[in-house]
Amino acid sequence: MSHTTSRRGLLFGTAAVSAGALLTACTSNDTKDDKTAANNQPAADDKPGKHVTIGFAGPQADHGWLNAINDNAKNRAKKYSDVSLEVTEGSNDTAQQIGQIETLINKKVDVLVVLPADGKALTQVGLKAMRAGIPVINLDRIFNSAQAYRCYIGGDNYGMGLNAGRYIGEKLKDKPNARVVELAGLDNLELTKQRTQGFDDALKNYPNIQKVARQAAEFTVESGQAKMAQLLQAQSKFDALWNHDDDQGVGALRAIQQAGRDDFLMVGGAGALSAFQAIKQDDGVLKATVLYPPTMAASAIDLARALGQAKGVGGLAEFEIPASITLYSAVVDKTNVDQYMSTGFR
Amino acid sequence: MAQEPPLLSMSGIAKSFPGVRALDGVDLDVQAGEVHCLLGQNGAGKSTLIKVLAGAHQPDEGTISWRGEPVTLRSPIAAMRLGIATIYQELDLVEHLSVAENVHLGHEPTTAGFVVRGRTARTSTAALLKRLGHPEIDPARLVGELSAAQQQIVSMARALSHDVRLIVMDEPSAALDPDEVDNLFRIVADLTADGVAVVYISHRLEEIRRIGDRVTVLKDGRAVAGGLPAKTTPTRDVVALMTGRNVEYVFPERPEREPDAEPVLRVRGLARDGEFDPLDLDLRPGEIVGLAGLVGSGRSEILETIYGARRPTAGSVSVDGRTLRPGSVRSAVGAGLGLAPEERKAQALLMLESVTRNVSVSSLSRFSWAGWVDRRAERGAARAAVRELSLRPDNPEVPVRTLSGGNQQKAVLARWLLRGCRVLLLDEPTRGVDVGARAELYAVVRRLADDGLAVLLVSSEVPEVLGLADRVLVLREGRVVHTAPARELDEHRVLDLVMEGTPAS
Amino acid sequence: MTQPVSPPRDTAGKIPPVGRLTPWRALPARADVRTLSLLGVLAALVVIGGITKPDEFLDTRNLQLVLTQASVIGVVTVGMTFVITSGGIDLSVGAIVALASVWATTVATQEYGFAGILFTAMLVGLGCGLVNGLLIAYGGMVPFIATLAMLASARGLALQITDGRTQIVSIDSVLKLGERDSYVLGIPPLVLVFALVTIAGWLALNRTTFGRRSVAVGGNAEAARLAGIDVRRQRLYLYLLSGLCCGIAAFLLIVLSGSGQNTNGNLYELDAIAAAIIGGTLLSGGRGTITGSVLGVLIFTTITNIFALNNLQSDVQQIAKGAIIVAAVLVQRRTASTN
Repeated sequence: MSHTTSRRGLLFGTAAVSAGALLTACTSNDTKDDKTAANNQPAADDKPGKHVTIGFAGPQADHGWLNAINDNAKNRAKKYSDVSLEVTEGSNDTAQQIGQIETLINKKVDVLVVLPADGKALTQVGLKAMRAGIPVINLDRIFNSAQAYRCYIGGDNYGMGLNAGRYIGEKLKDKPNARVVELAGLDNLELTKQRTQGFDDALKNYPNIQKVARQAAEFTVESGQAKMAQLLQAQSKFDALWNHDDDQGVGALRAIQQAGRDDFLMVGGAGALSAFQAIKQDDGVLKATVLYPPTMAASAIDLARALGQAKGVGGLAEFEIPASITLYSAVVDKTNVDQYMSTGFR
Repeated sequence: MAQEPPLLSMSGIAKSFPGVRALDGVDLDVQAGEVHCLLGQNGAGKSTLIKVLAGAHQPDEGTISWRGEPVTLRSPIAAMRLGIATIYQELDLVEHLSVAENVHLGHEPTTAGFVVRGRTARTSTAALLKRLGHPEIDPARLVGELSAAQQQIVSMARALSHDVRLIVMDEPSAALDPDEVDNLFRIVADLTADGVAVVYISHRLEEIRRIGDRVTVLKDGRAVAGGLPAKTTPTRDVVALMTGRNVEYVFPERPEREPDAEPVLRVRGLARDGEFDPLDLDLRPGEIVGLAGLVGSGRSEILETIYGARRPTAGSVSVDGRTLRPGSVRSAVGAGLGLAPEERKAQALLMLESVTRNVSVSSLSRFSWAGWVDRRAERGAARAAVRELSLRPDNPEVPVRTLSGGNQQKAVLARWLLRGCRVLLLDEPTRGVDVGARAELYAVVRRLADDGLAVLLVSSEVPEVLGLADRVLVLREGRVVHTAPARELDEHRVLDLVMEGTPAS
Repeated sequence: MTQPVSPPRDTAGKIPPVGRLTPWRALPARADVRTLSLLGVLAALVVIGGITKPDEFLDTRNLQLVLTQASVIGVVTVGMTFVITSGGIDLSVGAIVALASVWATTVATQEYGFAGILFTAMLVGLGCGLVNGLLIAYGGMVPFIATLAMLASARGLALQITDGRTQIVSIDSVLKLGERDSYVLGIPPLVLVFALVTIAGWLALNRTTFGRRSVAVGGNAEAARLAGIDVRRQRLYLYLLSGLCCGIAAFLLIVLSGSGQNTNGNLYELDAIAAAIIGGTLLSGGRGTITGSVLGVLIFTTITNIFALNNLQSDVQQIAKGAIIVAAVLVQRRTASTN
């Protein structure tokens, strides 16, 4: 729990702000803004530099978002002529993933990017890599110890809930006795609790809004359909729905369509392409989605390349890249959806 | 001895199961140092009584005293603590553990309460095995690798590893060779000399005469006689108590004429390596041929190989001139063979099902159209077959497990009768069948033969083979050592042949 | 000596007249008691639902919802009931549903429209069932192991096909089938399929040689073999049947969710086994009841529904599900031993 709180603290600190800025700097490809860091530390750019071998170990891509993570990492690496990427077979088995990472250590890759199947369980192998002199970029699921990574970059689950709650709150703030429903993700994951907590905290600012029901699906279309159908039957009238995950949202939308309901607004989560398209078309209940961007994998490659070439990153004054970056969970709605369309995952 | 309170005194023990009153007020007194025999037919309540004694069943009524003190045998452990050990017919050993581990299971010698002292266990086990006359059994071997007789010794060693005052032995001689039986009796004598009481269950009267001190006879859940002198009570009286009437084996009369039809079953050079030598056999309609032999003589193996349940290594079987596919039960059944196997419950019956379904299972295609079962036709045919064999109860919708052994056997016969089979293979047809019900079963078999069935009969009871069969093949160690019409043989001669393998003349 | 607690007897000390106990009436009566006890549980749930959420629970739409939600797992459970009755187990049902649902929703398959999706789903189910059946019946593999291997491979293959992506169905005729316009006299088509599969399963188990042989193989495989039944072929057919049911279920799931995903059918194997067991099918084989299995499925679905309507969370739901399994089995043991 304590590490949750500290992450949350981090969010409200400067990191969130800087991360937002950094993300733009990192992901935007235009280098017309040639402003380097205040010191003479060169910032990473697209110009070929020292060759860097990056080892990438992720979990099995059995979910659209995880699949997008892999794609983002691979495509980003392909862009750089000075980067070669060693990708392991994705695995959800902790022991197997440890073995894969140890192999990468033995191969003496320059930098490791690790999205652990289980952050706590892989802390030891992260430490091992760091001791072997290989800097580790810890992606999304955080290790137990800050010694096990050089840089953490990940999404913000609490912030997702918070922003979803704020968006819905602003839409409903003039509506007396507004009712809100939440379709959560897999309940035995900590991130689901964090998202719900953020959502609840945001709604506290709007005394006219009440959360009347919450059911947990399992990040799958099937469970999304099943749970949403029950929620719709349970709540004959409500004004807004927050769904944690766009994948299960496919099922939720199906249930909404089958029930013939369109009397509320829906906000999704994660940022799937199908959700973006629906938002753009604007002919259904889905009006917005809160990002949990898989582009973080591309950023991780950038960070790894920068580490390997001993450079900093643009947009920051420091010599070194930060130790921790928490991404901003932006809300995508009709007004800005075109900007994000290319990052949507399938 | 008489003035002391008995070691064990059970009185008025009653125990009911759904639908059955297994024990109905049984009294049993056992003195220290005696061999007390428990006699009774299957279903008389012997098993239930010893399970009560072992603490495995709780009696509904009655009291149990141990050395004059009333006790409650709440669990097998409670019984064991008093010094009561039970050696079940179906041995309760763990095959994947060693002999020593089995002997000390549940009371392993330990250091500091949890570290098992393996060496101590093996040493004490070796001492027990030596006392039981089997020093050749290695305490470190796995029980699964031992023979049935050796496993029984291990079970006995386990009993003796506790401070035992009373040992219950449930048909201990059933799986033993004659010299192993002698060893068993020596063990029993040693135990009683040490003041240990033995409750000995057997249906072999001659054993009871040899080692028994007193006999209690159970019938229908009641003790019909308690504490009779084992050596002097006339056999006729004991049998009468068990069956409720005086019975002798009554065999149906043989037809006078020799069967002259063409053989329906021809076996030529049939053999299985290591089990039985090449065998030639012709079986004519109306004929009953008996295979006599001891356990291990290959008699059951021969039946099962003819039936296709085992694949022969040589030879052929043909029915009406058509050669059967070797090792195919379906080919055999299709050609008109039927088997009533030795282990009825394990090999023949669907215990959860009704008699009808047990009877119809081999003839389903007769009552079905495109896989659709005509249940009325099925019931009618099953009922007819069951009536034909006077199966009791008359209603074939009862679950087969509620039937007595003899009626279960009839259900198996009805299956083949319904199928219209030509050759019936009977393996130990009266095992587990009450003495009183046997005569009826013999009559049924003879009637089926008279109706044109050919019957091949295997039995370890020589009088049964001699009484029922027309022709007898005597087997010894997988070889036919003698063939003769049954009326030319007598029990002594067959026993000589079975043991010696040479004609006694 | 203390009297042990024993089930109530007619009259203490009286000998039950064994001959007149009519055990032949006890057998069907016992089956009825089991069914009745399940119906009792279901009725109790309806009462609980009706009291806690009268407006939402006692509503035609909710009945349609519960039955629809039961359809997919229900069809799988019918197949599972046959397999368990025959003494086997099929751990691969969920994975087969996943594989069939993604194979039937690939871009290539969708080009063939409604029929393409339907037949692909059924053929994939049958294919997996065939492999299971061959491995178990003719390869001599233990069902637990063979179907566990199928579970892993089918899930892996499903993942490979989808790359973890959700495959949206774009065939209108398929999507329509899951929507209100297609209801026949208020009955959703999915529920009709479920009903048909149930009736067919009941008839097959109770009225055909196939059912008889399945029961015989499960009750005593050696006895069945010696009675002349082709046990191996029967086993092959049984796993084929289970696979086919998975294929049908996959199609229903495609219709219901409008998509195919490799995570489909998650833990169906456990739900189907649990429903069959609380329904009264013996895990050791030899006795099976389609009625009981379907009641088991309906009980689980109704619980989920009531909990969701009352906004109770999934942790509570899981605890309740476990408790219901234990309670149902205990009640059955009791009714079986006292009756």
